[in-house]
Amino acid sequence: MTVLSFALAYIGFSTLCVAMERHHGEVFGTRRIPPRRQITLRVAGWLLLAASFPVVITQWGWSFGPVAWCGMLTLAALPIVLLLPWRPRLVLWLAPAACMLGILAAWG
Amino acid sequence: MKNGFRQSMAWLHTWSGLVVGWVLFAVFLTGSVSYFRPEISLWMRPELHDAAAGTRAAEMIIAGMQRRAPDAPSWIILMPSARNPVADVFWREEGPNASRRGFQQVQLDPRTGEGLAARATAGGDFFYAFHFQLFGLPIPLARWIVSVCAMFMLVAIVSGIVTHRRIFADFFTFRPRKGQRSWLDGHAALATLALPYHLMITYTGLITLIALTMPWPILTNFQGDRTAYIAAVFGINERAPRSGRTAPLTPVGPLVAEATARWGGGTIGRILVTNPGDAAATITFQQQDGDRLSVSRRTITFNGVTGAVIATREPEGPADATRGVMYGLHVGRFGGGVMRALFFVSALMGSAMVATGAILWAVKRRQKAGGGAGARLVEILNVGTIAGLPAAMAVYLLANRLLPPGMAGRAAWEVYCFFIAWLLMLLHPLLRSHRRAWQEQLWAGALLLLAVPVVNALTTHSHLGMTLPAGRWDIAGVDLACLGFAVLLGCSAWMVRHPATATPRRRTAQAVAAE
Repeated sequence: MTVLSFALAYIGFSTLCVAMERHHGEVFGTRRIPPRRQITLRVAGWLLLAASFPVVITQWGWSFGPVAWCGMLTLAALPIVLLLPWRPRLVLWLAPAACMLGILAAWG
Repeated sequence: MKNGFRQSMAWLHTWSGLVVGWVLFAVFLTGSVSYFRPEISLWMRPELHDAAAGTRAAEMIIAGMQRRAPDAPSWIILMPSARNPVADVFWREEGPNASRRGFQQVQLDPRTGEGLAARATAGGDFFYAFHFQLFGLPIPLARWIVSVCAMFMLVAIVSGIVTHRRIFADFFTFRPRKGQRSWLDGHAALATLALPYHLMITYTGLITLIALTMPWPILTNFQGDRTAYIAAVFGINERAPRSGRTAPLTPVGPLVAEATARWGGGTIGRILVTNPGDAAATITFQQQDGDRLSVSRRTITFNGVTGAVIATREPEGPADATRGVMYGLHVGRFGGGVMRALFFVSALMGSAMVATGAILWAVKRRQKAGGGAGARLVEILNVGTIAGLPAAMAVYLLANRLLPPGMAGRAAWEVYCFFIAWLLMLLHPLLRSHRRAWQEQLWAGALLLLAVPVVNALTTHSHLGMTLPAGRWDIAGVDLACLGFAVLLGCSAWMVRHPATATPRRRTAQAVAAE
């Protein structure tokens, strides 16, 4: 559950990240994002971030959960900020990897 | 007008942060490692690494105390927990080993109640105490200083949020190797990403010391009687006088059963026994923190002779609950290892945020005015604190392994080693150019941190080669953390050695030349 909530927050943040022109440029090589795709990315990003909340709450409960969620968001955003300047493509590839790990960890 | 407001907030942010930045960095960093206070304390007492909690620990320890200090006016027993396998006991007695306030302290084996011969050390308690009462100053004064610094921190956070107008647009932005720009990016990113933590830890930190800084509500409500306040909040009543009639202490086994039944299963964190062996004896149990977010204390007090329940204290009322939650959030003892790791990451980001802020000021000033006495002072303090403190903390751990176990005043000397090392680190930049000072101190810190697991392997049996296969993450964690920080400081040193190829100033010069 810990890994799953991290994965959801990470994918959410990286989706929001590539929805921004500057970072879209760093990751895909072009700053131009079709407007509809930008909106889709934004909505998906926020939804994924929101989805990590109930996962954290199921694991931690209502008293510890919100605290853990804040910490989890911080932890999920940190690698993106650190990877972007040096390995921007890796931000993208880590997302499916995190997704797989999260699902495996939640099932296993 | 809006522009004027932002500018005044930027001014406020700069100066409120700078003035207390170094104290804040030290408070943040020592506070960060204090999340692992029991682990550090255990690491620093390798003699206890094989100890294990047993059943009937309370009975064994009480019996041990009856043999050890039958005439002491009271015993304070910190029970073993999942994070600390032994019991720490304190009692008041004159003697050569007594602390400043006249307390004796030993570790007892919970399986036998016998004393464990561990080396004398302050352990992780030193970092913990330092982070809110510094060292060597009168405690109220030191706590006032830290409170004032925390207030400045809160001001700096709020004014920083106002100043940083592109919180969302720059959320993921970090442009390394671009001089001042990078420091600003890094400072903003560290602040933004862990903003909930920064606000929470600063605010709750202020709240934990509020009885000192804002005593008036207590003085008013309790008619100036601090003892009554402490009794109400902590469930610790003033000790009744000895009756003078001897009476045997009641067996504690049934009392433990009674307490856990009343609490619905919670474990006992502390035991306070007053007047042991006297007819006026009392035994108080306090519930262990860590089972709940709030640390509002649940206690139960028994007659020490008959075993009858005299008093109970349950957390009640919104004020008590608020205080308990605030304090609980600050110390982060709840939720186990993952939660602690999350807190630790955010706390380190907080330390780095303070550090990058102070460095940013120096970089900016140097680029604008080329420096001056003030800028030079800031640079010296930056190096000596930001690079010097981690090195000094490594020295503290190294001293623990290298000072002879039987040495007189050993625990104090570990602390002196820390301060001697830090003082040297603060003096060293006076003699070197700024860049060289950074480089040398970062390398020194990296090597000293690297030395911790190495020296540990040479002097004890609790080194990584043993603790990792045995899965003793509590002990291995300290060695691994030292290695991790060594790498971090080493990388920083390398980056100082190989500065950005194009600093903004040079780039403008090139741009000008191109035109």
